[in-house]
Amino acid sequence: MEKFKKYIKELFESGEIEGFLGIRKNGLHPVPHLFTPEHPEELETLTIPDVRYPMTEILLTIVRKYPDKKLGIMVRGCDERALNELVKNQKILPELIKHIGIACSADLAASCRCAQPYPEEIHYGEKVAPVEDRSDIEAIDTMPQEERFDYWMSEFSKCIKCYGCRNICSMCFCDQCTLEDNDLIATGQAPPAIPIFHLIRAFHMAGRCIDCGLCEEACPAHIPLRTLYRKVRESMSGFLGYVSGTEGGEKDPLEFLGSEGYMVPSKIDEK
Amino acid sequence: MTQKEESFEPKIIAFCCNWCSYAGADLAGSMRLKYPPNVLPIRVMCSGRISPHFVMKAFQKGADGVLVTGCHYGDCHYMKGNYITMRRVTILKDLLKFVGVEPKRLRAEWIAGSEGDKFARVAHEFTDEIRNLGPSPLRG
Repeated sequence: MEKFKKYIKELFESGEIEGFLGIRKNGLHPVPHLFTPEHPEELETLTIPDVRYPMTEILLTIVRKYPDKKLGIMVRGCDERALNELVKNQKILPELIKHIGIACSADLAASCRCAQPYPEEIHYGEKVAPVEDRSDIEAIDTMPQEERFDYWMSEFSKCIKCYGCRNICSMCFCDQCTLEDNDLIATGQAPPAIPIFHLIRAFHMAGRCIDCGLCEEACPAHIPLRTLYRKVRESMSGFLGYVSGTEGGEKDPLEFLGSEGYMVPSKIDEK
Repeated sequence: MTQKEESFEPKIIAFCCNWCSYAGADLAGSMRLKYPPNVLPIRVMCSGRISPHFVMKAFQKGADGVLVTGCHYGDCHYMKGNYITMRRVTILKDLLKFVGVEPKRLRAEWIAGSEGDKFARVAHEFTDEIRNLGPSPLRG
């Protein structure tokens, strides 16, 4: 940990970064914090807890205000996937953002069911094995169609339309949100119309969702949102060969034609 | 079969692109080809304009089937809009299937301005298919 703090301090001193978005200990609570070279003493409170925050979402807020600052950000595997996608969507400039990698602990990786619990370059922690688990999708795929419908409708009916899933999402960076479009979703009315509210968001996650699972953690009604978005993520890679969160390469094929000869998907099995 | 099922007439929304499919639908009319009155065409400028949100809204409002029609590949007035349409429809169908709505309720077809007969045929086929599937589970 001391080594890590020293590393950040060095980055400050060399001028490589003008701010570091990390987590500090505030009493007993770990909270996200922007460390700056003006207050190097704050680095003493720097901590790396076994909890996650929507760091890239916070970064976007900072970048909107200070678009030309060189910033460092503490990234886990999920944060890095989010940053990659933000670069592709031209929300951040990669040359201004320095990734400072944290490998997640085995406990955290297990509780997140994370398929990639480490970023490319690790400055703190040890790489642990990824967790491959698609039991949640399989459980629903094996249900008969009517049961599936009833299951999702009963889950969606718990929604209180708090927009928590959207607000915490690193990939929800649009200036105007379709979930606040009065022609599609009646605004100012709760609970929302189902399943349109959730399916529109689910479709929007296609080609974007980086499977961090923060939406599900944030949901006060415990709707298994991640399962839904994981499914869309799978469809995207299955039909269109696109996995969001990878560095560089093609952009979201639902929004960009891409260079690969205007690929169209194979027909889906309708059974 | 109960009385209710026998009298079930599906409501179908057909999104037609301005340049090919709507002209195709028009031609079906000019040719005096009959197609079921269940199909309600909505004209949009391009099939690429058909946001999946429109499709969802149609289902939410009680449509039993949604037909998305556009120009054939290479014919699109806006060059490549229909490629994106097909990608979206595929992902949306898979999503519908996952939440327990029959993916057959959503269908994409390419219909040229000269294919009035194809428009009528697709409208017949699709209406029959949806009639067999019964009312949409999303109907309130």
